[in-house]
Amino acid sequence: MTDVDTAEAGPPWEGLRGPELFEACLHAAREGDKRGLDRLVAELTPLVWNVARGHGLDRHTAEDVVQTVWLALLSHLQKLREPKALAGWLVTTARHEAQRANGRKQPPVPLTDEMAETVPSTLPAPEAEALRTERDRDIWAAFGKLPQRCQELLRLTVLAGRAEYRVVAEALQMPRGSIGPNRGRCLKTMRELLDIEGGSA
Amino acid sequence: MNEIQVPEEAHPSDEALLADLGRVLAACDSPPDGLVERVQFALELENIDVEVARWERAGQLAGVRSSVDQGTITFTVSDLTVMINLTKVGQVHRIDGWLVPAGEHGVEVRVAGHGSSSTVSDEGGRFVLDSVPRGTTQIVISVGGAASRRTVVTPAVVL
Repeated sequence: MTDVDTAEAGPPWEGLRGPELFEACLHAAREGDKRGLDRLVAELTPLVWNVARGHGLDRHTAEDVVQTVWLALLSHLQKLREPKALAGWLVTTARHEAQRANGRKQPPVPLTDEMAETVPSTLPAPEAEALRTERDRDIWAAFGKLPQRCQELLRLTVLAGRAEYRVVAEALQMPRGSIGPNRGRCLKTMRELLDIEGGSA
Repeated sequence: MNEIQVPEEAHPSDEALLADLGRVLAACDSPPDGLVERVQFALELENIDVEVARWERAGQLAGVRSSVDQGTITFTVSDLTVMINLTKVGQVHRIDGWLVPAGEHGVEVRVAGHGSSSTVSDEGGRFVLDSVPRGTTQIVISVGGAASRRTVVTPAVVL
């Protein structure tokens, strides 16, 4: 961190985006530049978060998974053969951790009404303050009714963007060509749910 | 209900729906405030060849939370269990810890913005740290003492 030139010139990943940004940051992190790792954490935590949440984990457990995944990356920094594989590694590791966390869940216990009120639901209520319009509330409600696999696929699609389809396909262990059709079916279901929401109003 | 407008295109395109979904997810299910900073703090380690102990939240069904100010927290990884009991003393904490398997292990407690406190557990695996500042905290265990080749770290938790 005593490299004054680098500090003055700004980090080598300045202006880069997407996979190129991650590759440059990962390279810096491997060389011991903490800024590279910090940037990766800032850029890719939402991806890891959405994988955990897409597996139905509550927000606290999802946070545990996010931290575990990043800490696990430390000892894998030098082992990632292809820097471009980073996003895929994060998704795969997050899925593994999320499944592990799901497996550790206590068997359901009968809930009294009082307890039920204090148990946080997995998704915030659709009337959450952040959802300002009727349309947004409908979208959130419809999304929450989708099968978990659809929720995960759509979260990853939104987060990773189209350019990273390969990452999504590999991480979800789907044949690459089936991502598009699967996504289409999930969106179709979601539109049908939205029609029901709209129709009932 | 007059604010509901029946859209002219009852079926927005996939792209538009995805864009809407992205906006909604960002608005109401983005990562918790401070999570990125907690992770960045947790990764500030000299030794990066570490094993990660997971926070066991069993028995906290109605009380799951990301911050704790009293009580016992348990972390585990493979054969190692780290238990800490917190007692609030004024503005600081007393930490009573217990490591299983028992033995003299190096213990470092890092608190964001407050450096770290270190000690060594006794033969029974017990350790005590008085006057630990409150805040984002991580525990680093050198299994078997300072010359250890095995380092176990916990996630950063807000104590």
